[in-house]
This record gives sequence, C-alpha cells and structure tokens, in this order.
Amino acid sequence: MDLILEYQGQLLSGTWVTIKLALLSLVIAVLFGLIGAGAKLSRNIVAQKIAGGYTSIVRGVPDLVLILLVFFGGQELANQIGILTGLWDYAEISQFAAGVGTIGVVFGGYMTETFRGAILSIPKGQIEAAVACGMSRPTIFRRVIWPQMVVYALPGFSNNWLVQIKSTALVSVIGLQDVVYNGFVAGRSTRQLFTFMFAVLMIYLVLTAISDSGLRWLDRKYSKGIVRSEDG
Amino acid sequence: MSEPSGDYAALEVVDLHKSFGEVEVIRGVSLSAHKGDVISILGASGSGKSTFLRCINLLEIPTAGDVFVAGEQIRMKTSKTGRYEPEDIHQVERLRARLGMVFQSFNLWSHMTVIENVIEAPVHVLKIPKAEAIEQAEALLQKVGILERKDYYPAQLSGGQMQRVAIARGLAMNPEVMLFDEPTSALDPELVGEVLKVMRDLADEGRTMLVVTHEMGFARDVSSEVVFLHEGKVEEQGQPQQMFNNPNSDRFRQFLSRTMQ
Repeated sequence: MDLILEYQGQLLSGTWVTIKLALLSLVIAVLFGLIGAGAKLSRNIVAQKIAGGYTSIVRGVPDLVLILLVFFGGQELANQIGILTGLWDYAEISQFAAGVGTIGVVFGGYMTETFRGAILSIPKGQIEAAVACGMSRPTIFRRVIWPQMVVYALPGFSNNWLVQIKSTALVSVIGLQDVVYNGFVAGRSTRQLFTFMFAVLMIYLVLTAISDSGLRWLDRKYSKGIVRSEDG
Repeated sequence: MSEPSGDYAALEVVDLHKSFGEVEVIRGVSLSAHKGDVISILGASGSGKSTFLRCINLLEIPTAGDVFVAGEQIRMKTSKTGRYEPEDIHQVERLRARLGMVFQSFNLWSHMTVIENVIEAPVHVLKIPKAEAIEQAEALLQKVGILERKDYYPAQLSGGQMQRVAIARGLAMNPEVMLFDEPTSALDPELVGEVLKVMRDLADEGRTMLVVTHEMGFARDVSSEVVFLHEGKVEEQGQPQQMFNNPNSDRFRQFLSRTMQ
C-alpha cells in the first residue's frame, strides 16, 4: 500500500491519460458511427459502399495492428509526403493523437452497426407521420429519430464503450503513458508487478462502474414510453 | 400558376399517375374536394386507393399529375435522370402541414405522451407558442374524448384510443383537408365504433375529409361523395345514396355484393 501511495502520482496521471483517451476517442467513434450509419442507410450507393468497406475493415482487423500501422506507418507516410512535396522536413505523429484517432475510428465501425440497427428499430410509420406533418429532415432527426435511436442503441453502445475503455490499454505499446504503461513501469522498477497490476485492475473497475451508472441514467432518461421486447 | 386564385377547391388532384417499377398502380385519377366535402374512396385491395392518398401529400412521389392544396400547386419537375420530383422540398413541407393525415397503424410517436404527440407539429412546424399549443391540444383531446389520458404514452392505450389521438394530432395543424388511410382497418371490431363516431362528428362540423375505407356504412351515411377505384382508375363516382342504391358499373355492383354480405 505504501508503495502505491509512493507511486500514486504516476498512477493518477496514467489514469487521467486513459480517461482522456477514452473520452476523446468516444467522441470520434460516435461521430464516425453517426456518419457511417447515415451513409449505410442513405440511398446513395457510393456512400453505402464506402461505409460498408469501412466497417468491414476496422471490424476485421485487430485494433493492435491498426494502432501500430497508424503510429509507425503513419509516421513514415507523413515523412514521405513531406519529402515528396517539400513542405516539411520531419513530421511527428503524437502518440496520443495516434491512439485517440485509431481507437476512435475502429470503434466508429462498431458504433456504425449499433446506430444503424437502432435507427432501423424505429417503426417506419413514425417517420412517415413526421413527414406527413410537414417536418423538415433535420427536425425529424432531432425530434423523432434521435430520442428513440438513443434508447435502442444504448445496450449496444454500452457494450462498445466498455470494450473501448479497455482497448485504450493497447496504446501502451506505442509508449503512451496511460495507466497500464505507468503501472507496469512502477511495478517493474519496484519488483512488485502484482501489486501494481492489481491497482490498475481496480482503477479500470472503478472507471467501468462509473460509466455503467452514467449509462443507466441515460437509459432512464430516454426510455420513457418505449417498450422493448427484452427490457435491458 | 402556383398562386391561389379566387375560388378554389380545398384539394384538387389532376390526372395522377403512379408506377412502381413497371407496374402502374394509379392510372390517371382526378378528384376535387371542396370545403366541407367528405369523400370516401372505396376499392378492393390492390385497387391503388391507399397509394393514391399517399401521393397527395407526396409520401409517395407520383409519376405524373398535379396536386393543388387550397389553390396552390405543388411544383414538380423532371430531374436529369428523368424522375418526376418536387421542385422545392420546402414548399412540399409547407403544404404537407396543411394536410392532416391519419394512418391505419396510428403511427404515434412512442417516446412522447399523448399531449406531446398532439403539440409536436404545431410547436416545431408551425412554431406556435407551447402554451397556446397545449391549450389547443387539450380542447382537441376533449373533442375526441381522451383528455383524461393526456399524460399516457401510446403503448399504454388501446388501438381505438391511439387512433383518436392520431386524429387529434392531425387536427392540431388545423389542416385544409384531413386524409384518412384506412383508419379503422387495424382495430379490433369493438373499437371501430369509437373512431367512426369521432370521424362522423368531424364530418358534421364541416371538416373536409378524404377517407380511404372499407367501412361501407360510413361511406354510405356520412360521405358527400364516393369514389370507387378499380385497378388504378376511377370506375364510378357520385353521391352515396345513388351509388349504393343504383350502382352504374358492374364492378361496383360486384364489389358491393361481396362487401355487404
């Protein structure tokens, strides 16, 4: 316990990195998810194809491979472009940006599927009724689709989010000092790996427990009047 | 030509056609509804009557023909790919707001209470102040006899109650014409009466209504005009008394003998 207190600074700063990473990548994932779902449900065949390709790729490749590819490969690519165009000598992709970007884009693929399914769960007649009232498309999205989509998407979204928080641990391989990285370093230097990894485990559990209660709150807020076949 | 001019019908449909792929479902139907008219549209299933109604507010885009709402023409154009489509979606939205629609499957918004369903479009489409919309909605819910359930969610109501809420929702826009798409077809038999009674009251107070229905009693006793569609065309049209007592066409006679047993 004393040891953990001694290293609490590292653990806390690592936890903060993990939280920032998770939240920022969530924003990207939700954004990509909404755009992806919109594209998959649109009548535009090109948009459908692009979104289809996107979800197949990011869901079919390990996150770790993509993180390494973006970080090291992206670095290489940026430098090559710099040399070819003569615009810059040396570009560096920050570990944080690579982590946030990759995890966000990968989970955007999962969110696409979750949101698409949720939108399809809204009875078509309700959208027709909104059209028949003279509502514009943005109004229909805001007033009829979004509030119901949230409810239908919440179980899948919660699942994605929990997996996503855990996936942020992968960024320690590119040297980003998240809670796993800092815990591991502290554990090795004190030769108390078990103690520190256990502390890291507890930190993850606290994070997921907090998000769980947040998600429950969202569910209560939005699920009024909506009857689900299986109450989640 | 799209501006209202003098004396005009509440709704006028001119030579409407609609095809799905190769199949032409509506083959040139015209109809005009003046203020206070109650027009029943009858026909066997597959006669195109629901499609016709859905073409009026462009839930389905017709392949040809014109629709005028209170004298204003819905402007259509032919796109580069040869599709017939609305020229200005904002105009379509504005005119849709003047046509109330009641669906077979109610289509209430399930995440909103009864009163929220009724004030939704007045507040978010017509931009009426919320307090005023609530006042108006309560009067309408009173009229359809469901005010005491105003804070219920649709899932907590019976089919007949939902349909009455849907009618109140349509009326809340104070439309030129109310379109009813088989409003009683999804109801249990014992619930049909309460909905028909509301519709009868609306007819009595002079609402302009277009009703696609299988309710022969309603068509005969309440409507001012009956249109019988067969394979996408008007087969017979006229006053209900005359049509029901002395059908001109064989098809309508056959239809009556099948449905009136």
